[in-house]
Amino acid sequence: MKRKALTVLLASIALFIMAIPVFAHHSFAAAYDTNNPITVKGVIVQVRLENPHSWFFLDVKGADGKMERWSFEAGTPSGMIRNGFKPGVIKAGTEVTIKGFHARDLTQKVGMLNELVTADGKVYGQFGPQQGPGAQ
Amino acid sequence: MISSIAFAGIVLAMVWFAPAKASLGAAVQAAGQNAQRGAAPPTTPANTAPVKPTPRMADGHPDLSGVWWGGADVGGRGFRGGARGTPTVSYTSLYQPWAAEKAKTLSDKDDPTLKCVPVAFGTLNVSLYSVGAVGQIISTPKFVVMLQETFHGYQLIPTDGRPHRDDVPPAYRGDSVGRWEGDTFVVDTTNYTDNTWMFAEGRVSFHSDALHIVERYHRTDFNTLEIEARIEDPKVLTGPWNAPKATLTLAPFDMVMSLACTGVETQSLMDGAAKLKQ
Repeated sequence: MKRKALTVLLASIALFIMAIPVFAHHSFAAAYDTNNPITVKGVIVQVRLENPHSWFFLDVKGADGKMERWSFEAGTPSGMIRNGFKPGVIKAGTEVTIKGFHARDLTQKVGMLNELVTADGKVYGQFGPQQGPGAQ
Repeated sequence: MISSIAFAGIVLAMVWFAPAKASLGAAVQAAGQNAQRGAAPPTTPANTAPVKPTPRMADGHPDLSGVWWGGADVGGRGFRGGARGTPTVSYTSLYQPWAAEKAKTLSDKDDPTLKCVPVAFGTLNVSLYSVGAVGQIISTPKFVVMLQETFHGYQLIPTDGRPHRDDVPPAYRGDSVGRWEGDTFVVDTTNYTDNTWMFAEGRVSFHSDALHIVERYHRTDFNTLEIEARIEDPKVLTGPWNAPKATLTLAPFDMVMSLACTGVETQSLMDGAAKLKQ
């Protein structure tokens, strides 16, 4: 029984490793703490589709009621657009909820964007619509 | 116990040598993300139509023109994260002892691409891609023009046998000359600056101004472009490094985007993260 359990465990580890690609997003892991997930709700101030990564800036009401400016780093502009993200689809003034990971530097109100959901329920991943058409 | 370990080892060996069908979903998973787009595993649709032959220019040489990628852009379904082929030694494993010691003092925060300085080679081992995953070639009898979408780069490659220019300063992407060897276009590049890395994404990979790259481009059929690259740097490496052979696919669109690099916000995040380690 123990031998069978160990086999299953090792196979599971191997299967997990299969999910790790040859090319991993090294710089994201260096800048952001994936053990520190955050959820932020606010209003979009600006969306910048730029290289090397796009940025979403939003105003968020803090616990003290004061507005805070948060920034979330997303995917490459070409990858986002080819994954179905239309430039201008998320406009300033849009209410959004963003889930992501906090920058390792906790003094900065910055996160890596993992998921963005608009008030009307549209869902976007780091590289565009969750249900987008995929490449091109 | 031993048979369990052997089983895992066989599985791991299969994984290591298997083509990496990595999508960005998998890349993000590796970084710890747990929410992904609900895409099916990347697959290439079955193509039952006969493969069209390599197109040729009026002078008979293969026409390398087209937008080339690995099946998708980063984040797209079907994105293949790197070149294929048998595992090769890494570029940095060939560092001379002094270079290996220097590499230990560098990290993500020192990546020149954080300041929008492009790479000398390509993060995915394809110079045509530069920092990204898509590039375009415009082939004419006199010049082959390489357009690197990300960071808005270009390379003019004369094909008339002229020597390297000796009247221009070093460049991020060097000075290239090309020649045809049968159906293979050979590109020889020298005169690089020494302030770039070979790859981005925080992978320490500096080089010197003695960097010399020879690439071989072979369009094997209408949809397929194979690229081999040999990298030499006698000031930094103990010997030449052969990049894994890259197999590119013709993209279903005919223009790359115009994308300069303007975002430098990540530098402060890297600096902040680095201070936490001190």
